[in-house]
Amino acid sequence: MNHKIELPKIDELNFPLIHKHLCNFIKSEVFKAGLKRVVLGLSGGIDSAASCFLAVSALGKDNVTALIMPYESSSKSSMDDALKVVNMLGIKYYVSDISNQINEYFKIETDEAEKSENTYITGDIVLKLRKGNKMARERMSILYDYSYKLNSLVLGTSNKSELLLGYGTLYGDTASALNPIGDIYKTQIYQLAEHLGIPKTIINKPPSADLWEGQSDESELGFTYKTADDIMYLLIDKMYKPEVVISLGFEENIVNNIYERIKKSQYKRRMPLIAKVSERTINIDFRYLRDWT
Amino acid sequence: MINKGNSTINVCLAQADPKTGDLEKNIESHIEIISSAKKQGAEIVIFPELSLTGYFLKDSVYDLGVDINSDESAVFEPIYKVSGELNIAVIAGFVEKDADFNFYNSTFCVSNGKLINVHRKVYLPTYGMFEELRYFKQGEGFGVFDLNGVKISVLTCEDAWHLSSSYIAVNKGAHIIIINSASPARGITAGLNKFNSANMWEELLSVIAFYYKCYVIYVNRVGFEDGIGFSGGSCVISPSGNIESKMDYIEAGEIISELNLNLLNNERFKTPILRDENLNLTLKELESIIYNNKFK
Repeated sequence: MNHKIELPKIDELNFPLIHKHLCNFIKSEVFKAGLKRVVLGLSGGIDSAASCFLAVSALGKDNVTALIMPYESSSKSSMDDALKVVNMLGIKYYVSDISNQINEYFKIETDEAEKSENTYITGDIVLKLRKGNKMARERMSILYDYSYKLNSLVLGTSNKSELLLGYGTLYGDTASALNPIGDIYKTQIYQLAEHLGIPKTIINKPPSADLWEGQSDESELGFTYKTADDIMYLLIDKMYKPEVVISLGFEENIVNNIYERIKKSQYKRRMPLIAKVSERTINIDFRYLRDWT
Repeated sequence: MINKGNSTINVCLAQADPKTGDLEKNIESHIEIISSAKKQGAEIVIFPELSLTGYFLKDSVYDLGVDINSDESAVFEPIYKVSGELNIAVIAGFVEKDADFNFYNSTFCVSNGKLINVHRKVYLPTYGMFEELRYFKQGEGFGVFDLNGVKISVLTCEDAWHLSSSYIAVNKGAHIIIINSASPARGITAGLNKFNSANMWEELLSVIAFYYKCYVIYVNRVGFEDGIGFSGGSCVISPSGNIESKMDYIEAGEIISELNLNLLNNERFKTPILRDENLNLTLKELESIIYNNKFK
């Protein structure tokens, strides 16, 4: 077995082709839907910036709209970075603060810890996660409203690492019509971002979902994206069994942890299960492309 | 049509982006391409695999099958007509339905308005993202047909990955192997300005052309179907293994390439691998392999 098999880099030689491929994907799938525009949520982070840059290359700046949807605890630098992207690209954007809706919803609960059935973790964390999920779904809800209002498809901004690890909210940030970066690992997103010309401040800041103050992806996950991506590339892309990945020198507990995370979050990557009753059931034996004509 | 005097043929490689499931629209776009290719001097126009229907058809296969040996072939009449009027050969992919209602991933060749060959894809990939054997029946051989004095064999995509198919084709007398495909772009490598899948194809095509001493014409499609993009890169490889003409990866378009059949004479004289091929030995070995496998 070749021990040198490692996550391929996006570099100056393969970037032009990957860029063209992703732009063609956006153009082709938007046009097939009978539309010409996309709308996306811009967080100030590297993933949504990458999707946004690709969309502008594919469709032109007049056909891309960004929504910036801060919550009261969102960091000021996130807003500054999101504005940097829209200004740089010259695209139309709207700012929609979601603090009121979120606070109003949670105001009715007096003691969230007691009300939650998730007793295996402390009330504080339960509330944090519930709030985080609610924010992600609120943003999704606004994006889909704008999708209708602006006759635009919702462009996804989740990368392959977070989709595989299940580090996202079901029907929240993982929801979209099209996702140009969903097959690109976080480590590769950094390389892609360099070639796209995304501002350094966005590339260099530590990855965070920014759902609460000081949140950090890597400290929550317990490993770095670099380590996770190297392991997931072997597990998923190369289909190596976990024991083989471990035999290549990766730490056993991290490999197992990642493999478990991927398995446990499979439900987030699939449509809801439908109980088969009839002779032909949606997505079971009623099988057509989404691009069905 | 094909000028044997100077032993050249002008071939148009039509790197198309078919509209999935829309036979009518695809017939229209084929005719536009055929007409414009003729104006540029093409004698044969070659389209990709399933060029008239699209590739990832799933249950739509059921709606798109055409029994080309029945009245249903009337749907292709506009292509037959343009081929006859322009005195040009057309090679295009479609979903074939036979009289017993089996479906095939097929490719027809229409020359001067007449159907002269149909190749039913033999090797139907059913692994990874592919599910052809779920819908199609396997073809039963690799034929060679005569197109105005030139011997041609058509292999469809995965057929070519089995080196036995091109071995059969050249030993049956093929001078030109046409490979039509719908190959998805996949895999990247640092320092490589093409998809890994395209790279593998180029190596394979070069091996077929060089070691079997034939022209290889590869016509791959472009465009997207449900997020899967096809990698284009259609090309002509000469019997010396060199790429003679090559199209862009992932952009639709056409090129006309002039094939000089004298090169076959030259290459087969200098390196007579085919002449020296021992078919009896191969047959004996194959029979013994098949016999021994029975007892495994």
